[in-house]
Amino acid sequence: MNEPKTVAFKTLGCRLNLYETDALAAEFVRKNYKIVDFGEPADLYVINTCTVTNQSDQKSRREINVAHKANAHGVTIVTGCMATNYKEQLEKNEAIDYVVDNQHKTSVLAVAEAHFNGELVDINHFDANLFNYSPADTTFHTRSLIKIQDGCDNFCTFCIIPKVRGRATSRPPEDIFENIKTVIAYGYKEIVLTGVNLGRYQHGAYDFERLTEEILEIPGDFRVRISSIEPDGYSESFFRLFNHPKLTPHLHICLQSGSEEILLKMRRMYTARFFKDMAIKLQQMHPGFNLTTDIIVGFPGETDDQFGETLEMMKTIGFGHVHTFKYSVRKGTRAERMEGQVASHEKTQRSEEVRKLADEMKLSFRTSFIGKTQRVLVEKIRDDGTASGYGEHYVPVVIREHGLTANTFYDVMIEDILAGDEPTLTGTRVVETN
Amino acid sequence: MQTKGKHRLIDIRHLTDSTYVLQMERNGLQFDAGQHILLGAAGDLNQREYSIYSGNRDEYLEVLIKEVDDGDVSKKLKNITIGDYLQVEGPLGYFRLDTKLVPDKKFLFISSGTGIAPFHSMVKSHPELDYTVLHGVRYGYEGYERSHYDKNRYIQCTSGDETGHFHGRVTDYLKAHPIDNSTICYFCGNFKMIREAMDILEKKGIPHHQLHAEVYF
Repeated sequence: MNEPKTVAFKTLGCRLNLYETDALAAEFVRKNYKIVDFGEPADLYVINTCTVTNQSDQKSRREINVAHKANAHGVTIVTGCMATNYKEQLEKNEAIDYVVDNQHKTSVLAVAEAHFNGELVDINHFDANLFNYSPADTTFHTRSLIKIQDGCDNFCTFCIIPKVRGRATSRPPEDIFENIKTVIAYGYKEIVLTGVNLGRYQHGAYDFERLTEEILEIPGDFRVRISSIEPDGYSESFFRLFNHPKLTPHLHICLQSGSEEILLKMRRMYTARFFKDMAIKLQQMHPGFNLTTDIIVGFPGETDDQFGETLEMMKTIGFGHVHTFKYSVRKGTRAERMEGQVASHEKTQRSEEVRKLADEMKLSFRTSFIGKTQRVLVEKIRDDGTASGYGEHYVPVVIREHGLTANTFYDVMIEDILAGDEPTLTGTRVVETN
Repeated sequence: MQTKGKHRLIDIRHLTDSTYVLQMERNGLQFDAGQHILLGAAGDLNQREYSIYSGNRDEYLEVLIKEVDDGDVSKKLKNITIGDYLQVEGPLGYFRLDTKLVPDKKFLFISSGTGIAPFHSMVKSHPELDYTVLHGVRYGYEGYERSHYDKNRYIQCTSGDETGHFHGRVTDYLKAHPIDNSTICYFCGNFKMIREAMDILEKKGIPHHQLHAEVYF
């Protein structure tokens, strides 16, 4: 019997990419491939790239080089958003065997199989289908990511995603329900609804709210987390869904800027005032809710005062976590042609200010959990025998006990916080007494 | 339902030296008034977003275009000839009327320059609309096909001459006139106008959720 072929995966960027890599990896395992760590010699490398910023492009290129160095004779397939955005350029790179755009990503296994069978491979002859991934029984994560939507029609002036992910498309609800039931049967305890612009989910009579509502009614011991969303299009009735015990009280809603003028120039679909009102309403309805966000600093024309408005907005809302991006020009976007590009050193300084404030807010937010309980899904047993995982608010928790089991829920009394770059709560199990 | 395809050019109407309307085959493209399309010459990789100018009951599809000095697309499109093909993708976007409100509410459409295009489509698509169009331009001759609007519902604000109904910018007009607080307000044009106009209306007490904007660049 032939030795199984080895395959190594690297994922860059968003949760959608993570989902897609998980699904691809599971398909390779079913076909008897052996997964090895990226950077080790392998017969095949699959790099699922990102192009959202210049830095993402650089990281993606770096990983292509890592694969080439690990085994120059291995087959390298580059897929994802950078592969879509720079297809022709990457096809000239001798370190890459195949460039598979997002439309054909579901065919990565078929491309590999065709290659190993000695067939001539033309990517365009493979199926173009955004949702044709089988549920993954084993993944690189404890949570099961569920792709419900792809693409975006918002055309924010800074964003390359509509070009590389295409127009907004929603997966049929019955496929989603089936996918979720399958992964729950596999034993997953947490599912994460994932897409490019979840709030724009629309399939027949189903919008995102109705879809989420029905997902929450699927029987089983699991919880549901919503991946990153845009601020527009949510009503109070959507926020009421968070009363459901299965829906975790955490949303990552992208603010991008606290300046009304910058938001207009970004062509965002909401105002800073709308965002603030929405955040306050959410926090009033669900005290302790973990609201996290993305912020872009140094968008063309951003003045000191406008940047100051972003800092003020952060302080007003009190985000649990802020992911900061220094604006970088994306070719083909409207912002590329805007005047007033901000100097690099200025962007770095603003980014640092956001980071400092965000760190303070994160520590303060997480400290507020001391003396409260979190339902922790254990992700791993640490080297010292204690367990770590995430509470329902998506805060990291270490349970200072031995003998616990991974992929199991435990109610934990939070007793302390370990400060650091990623402040981590610590506690012990709540012991039920009669 | 979004489509992507080639649409044959039927007509070009030059409204000023730099502004023109392209009329093309509709090819069954369904849209809500206010939405936009991605448009370029067939075979050209460069495309731009343009609001649909025609009504959703028209047999054809129209866009209103201002030629931009350093524009790749607007210059090329001005020089294509009738019978040539255009690459159209769409409809796109969420700038549209809440049709439930159309029977009972007053609508104020605030625009600058070719930002009047989506409102032209809304007015043509919903003849029953109780609307006022406020159109800011530099000179009176830039009232693009103003005869398409009820003359009692179209207010032209001219900042460069006194040939409009109001001499000054749309924001000056808004400051100087009362606006009923129940009015649903839509903005389309450059971001500075929109920002200032929103500010004025909010100070006049128009609730935030009644303000809807589409930015032109």
